[in-house]
Amino acid sequence: MKSLVTGLLTSLALSMGMLSTAAQAEQLNVWHAYRGGEKAAFEKVVKMYEAKQAGKGVTVNTLAIPYDAYADKISAAVPRGKGPDVFIYAQDRLGGWVESGKTVEPIDFFIDKPTREQFRPGMVEAMTYKGSVFGLPINYKSTTLIYNKALVKAPPKTTTELVKLAKQLTQKDSGRYGLAYWYTNFYFHSALMNAFGGKVFDASGKMVLNSKESIAAINQMIKWYKKDGIMPPEPSEALVASLFNEGKAAMVFNGPWFIGEISPKIDFGLAMLPIVDEAGKKPMRPWLTIEGAYVSAASKQKELAYDFAKFLASEEAGLVLALEGRQLHTNKRIYTDKRVIGDRILKAFHDQLSNAEPMPNRAEMTMVWSPATTAMNKITKGSSTPEAAIKEASATIQDSINALRKAR
Amino acid sequence: MSPFRWLASSYVLGLGVAVGITLALSAWLFEGAERDQRVQYERRLAQVEANSLAGALASAAPERIAGVLQAWQARHPAHESAILVGGMELLGSTKPEDAAPRRLGREEKPIFDLANLLRAARETNIGEGVVRKKLVNFDGSVKGAYVVTVPYLANNEFAGVLQVRIRQVADKRSAPSSLGGVPLWLPALLVAVALGALFRARSDLRLDLPRLLLFAAFLALTLAYQYQRMAAYDASDLDGARQVANAVREAVLSYGLPPEGAAAPSPWDTDTYLRPLGVVLGDGTLNESAHGALFAEKTRFFERSLWAAEVLGLVMLLAFLFGYMRRLGATLREHADAYAYVTPAMLGMLVLVFFPFLYGITLAFTDTTLFNESLPFAERWIGWDNFVTILGDFNLYERGPEGLIWNYQNFYWTLMVTIVWTLTNVAIGVSLGFILALILNTEDLKGKAIYRVILILPWAIPNYITALVWRGMFHPQFGVINQVLQMFGMAPVAWFDGVVSSFLTGLTTNGWLSFPFMMVVILGALQSIPKDMYEAAEVEGATRWQRLRHITLPLLRPTLIPAIVLSVVWTFNMFNIIFLVSGGEPAGANEILITKAYKIAFENYQYAYAAAYSTVIFVILLVYGVFQTRVTKATESF
Repeated sequence: MKSLVTGLLTSLALSMGMLSTAAQAEQLNVWHAYRGGEKAAFEKVVKMYEAKQAGKGVTVNTLAIPYDAYADKISAAVPRGKGPDVFIYAQDRLGGWVESGKTVEPIDFFIDKPTREQFRPGMVEAMTYKGSVFGLPINYKSTTLIYNKALVKAPPKTTTELVKLAKQLTQKDSGRYGLAYWYTNFYFHSALMNAFGGKVFDASGKMVLNSKESIAAINQMIKWYKKDGIMPPEPSEALVASLFNEGKAAMVFNGPWFIGEISPKIDFGLAMLPIVDEAGKKPMRPWLTIEGAYVSAASKQKELAYDFAKFLASEEAGLVLALEGRQLHTNKRIYTDKRVIGDRILKAFHDQLSNAEPMPNRAEMTMVWSPATTAMNKITKGSSTPEAAIKEASATIQDSINALRKAR
Repeated sequence: MSPFRWLASSYVLGLGVAVGITLALSAWLFEGAERDQRVQYERRLAQVEANSLAGALASAAPERIAGVLQAWQARHPAHESAILVGGMELLGSTKPEDAAPRRLGREEKPIFDLANLLRAARETNIGEGVVRKKLVNFDGSVKGAYVVTVPYLANNEFAGVLQVRIRQVADKRSAPSSLGGVPLWLPALLVAVALGALFRARSDLRLDLPRLLLFAAFLALTLAYQYQRMAAYDASDLDGARQVANAVREAVLSYGLPPEGAAAPSPWDTDTYLRPLGVVLGDGTLNESAHGALFAEKTRFFERSLWAAEVLGLVMLLAFLFGYMRRLGATLREHADAYAYVTPAMLGMLVLVFFPFLYGITLAFTDTTLFNESLPFAERWIGWDNFVTILGDFNLYERGPEGLIWNYQNFYWTLMVTIVWTLTNVAIGVSLGFILALILNTEDLKGKAIYRVILILPWAIPNYITALVWRGMFHPQFGVINQVLQMFGMAPVAWFDGVVSSFLTGLTTNGWLSFPFMMVVILGALQSIPKDMYEAAEVEGATRWQRLRHITLPLLRPTLIPAIVLSVVWTFNMFNIIFLVSGGEPAGANEILITKAYKIAFENYQYAYAAAYSTVIFVILLVYGVFQTRVTKATESF
């Protein structure tokens, strides 16, 4: 009996000992906001990483955080020395995190030339704030042209073709439109604005929304809506989806999140956004939202954290994330793989990327959305001219920015 | 009272405690200020060294860098080491083992990142045309040395950073002061307060001679102490400035005059934004009037703290002299059990309620935003500015060609919307609730229980869900409300585009949510009204209306008024409905104060301004609460 107890105790002590050595092995905490298929693919990649590091005993603990609480959780935890070693988030919060400090670790020191060059153009730029790189880009999203194959035989290459085709397909009294997109939303409008060379911020950070280029882009949108009459009034995400699914919108400008909403009855095709003839034959360039893996400034093992981020951005992980997680991965080498490039959806967004621009990652960008969208609504309802509305929005935004950039 | 007896009374004890508190607090403040002063001057000296060396390096050819660095190190025994880093390269170092130039090693990532940080800070300041990013970095984690990093410019372009390490000289001035620091005065204060509570003093409010004398004694003692220490503090500040001037002179001896010349402010004696302070001139002469002005500005916050210590002592003295302390002690002794029981709850409240509350109010007096939240608190302090901006902005409307254009961003517009929102909502909630309660109170109503359950349902469903459902119903194209309007041949309404229609969406949703509460409260009260009153009235020949007017309404009043008070406070801060249904559309016209504060904090990142906004909301509700308590008291007598 006694020996049994001793034996039990010994084995317990041994297993405790083993536990403690396991705890001494390196643990990496990773936060993300994925669900469903994306989460499954991400976890598979994590297992792959652990398998690769098997000799070193690295374990990666992933934690899925609900999206709406995510950014605030990072802002609250990391500057106080808590939180994950690596976290994944889109570039829009990056500027704010860098400005408030002690949140994201700069990684210029770690990032080498091959790593930098494995990405598609624009990707590292989105992760760069004031000349320093703060994260490795993992995946991207942008809008593109999605059309109903039953109505559109060949997608238009230029806006002249687009208008011509759309006019034929528009029958206002039966609620049919050639083109539908949420054109009063500044995010969807950005593709036109970029085509005309309009910008929200210049390279030095000055807010330059009130320019003749942005006004020209708005006039182009107004022309489609009012003069050509090819777009429905009062657009919204839901309206665009329902028109397209009822076969009442021949073409829409929308992103990868829209694919899941398309009714199985609609045979859809994807193509690049058209070239804007009115803007000197420049293509429409939608904004890119790019998710990056950031090393936390509070991490105790930054090199390991960077190594994991680097793995997420690698070709090996990219294939799993693209094929199983349906993500548009940033590593350009995966697009040589037949399974990826043979997938028409992945290929379409991959093509659009050659004409796209990263969305500004400045903290000041959150001050732009609401006044800009108000201005777009005023303009389309005709209660203000583009010049006056943009001037007013620009003044409101500038006031908010000045309050933030106060001299010390 | 004989002189001897009043000496033994709590008067003297009061004086002792008050003087003790003020002196201890002042001593603590002075110690802090003197410590800061020492650190500031050490840093300023280190900065003169770093700036002058960086200036010399800027004009030196690459092959001369090592020589300049070594000459600097040899000049003074406190000069421990210096390194020059540009990009991934170590350009120069005083350490012989470093063999510069070479590539930076893994363990040198911090200095590489620091260089990038300073480069970005410089670009930001230049690009935005506003000086807001610090250009000098002090590493506070190093013990026994000052580690200063400044930008290294070549041809006026950022080319890297210079980091110098200067040994800390043992400080002669750091002798402990007469009264000790915090740990000494805090328990002393507690003991004094406890003692004071035990003693007795007359509780009348006359300002007689003994009391006047005590006031005079308090002021004389404390002000004399503060004056004397301030003089010493002032002198040592001037001494520090002289040392800085000396350091500049020494630097001039080694590197020659700076390019700005002898009479211009020295470019080496700067603040952390690399702006010359103007106290020391190019050749190292001290501009004493500029020093005086800088000193006055620097010590403003400190002087105010000293006055606060004075006021605290005075309050303490008053409490003793007029018997409040005695009363406090008596209450504590009498209800000792009760206080013991509430202590755990009070501690919880302290952490969960009072601390965040006080923090919010303190934040309102700063200019904290996302961009400067990492700066020390004293640098963010701006006093009443936020409140002046909020309350003093009367730009409520302007006259345009088509009549008045309201400024929806103005505080008073939002306040008006909030008040209208509260009044209309409470009116709707009470009247709907009242009517439904009267109906449900009908004696032989069949299926009463079912009706009651159905009518309480809107209250039982989480209001987020209700709000989102209503938002969907108000959708211009797909919403059921517009569909019904069209069925009857009416034009659909773009609900969220007009100020009034958008307001109505919130009002409808909140009306839907708030009537069940009122209904339940009123129903309960109705059922407690004795039936014989109605019967008696009926016998007397009162009509239905007369019964309602003279029996029901007066008897409902005691229940209804507290319910209305609560409902007003809830509706005033009804964040969910506004935020989820109309979102303040159009153009923020239908924002209420609390949603506006949210947008200022989390869309515009002006944390302090939002805190000031919330403080104003609190004060409004406080005034309302006090006013309402009086009204309620008046009804209680009924």
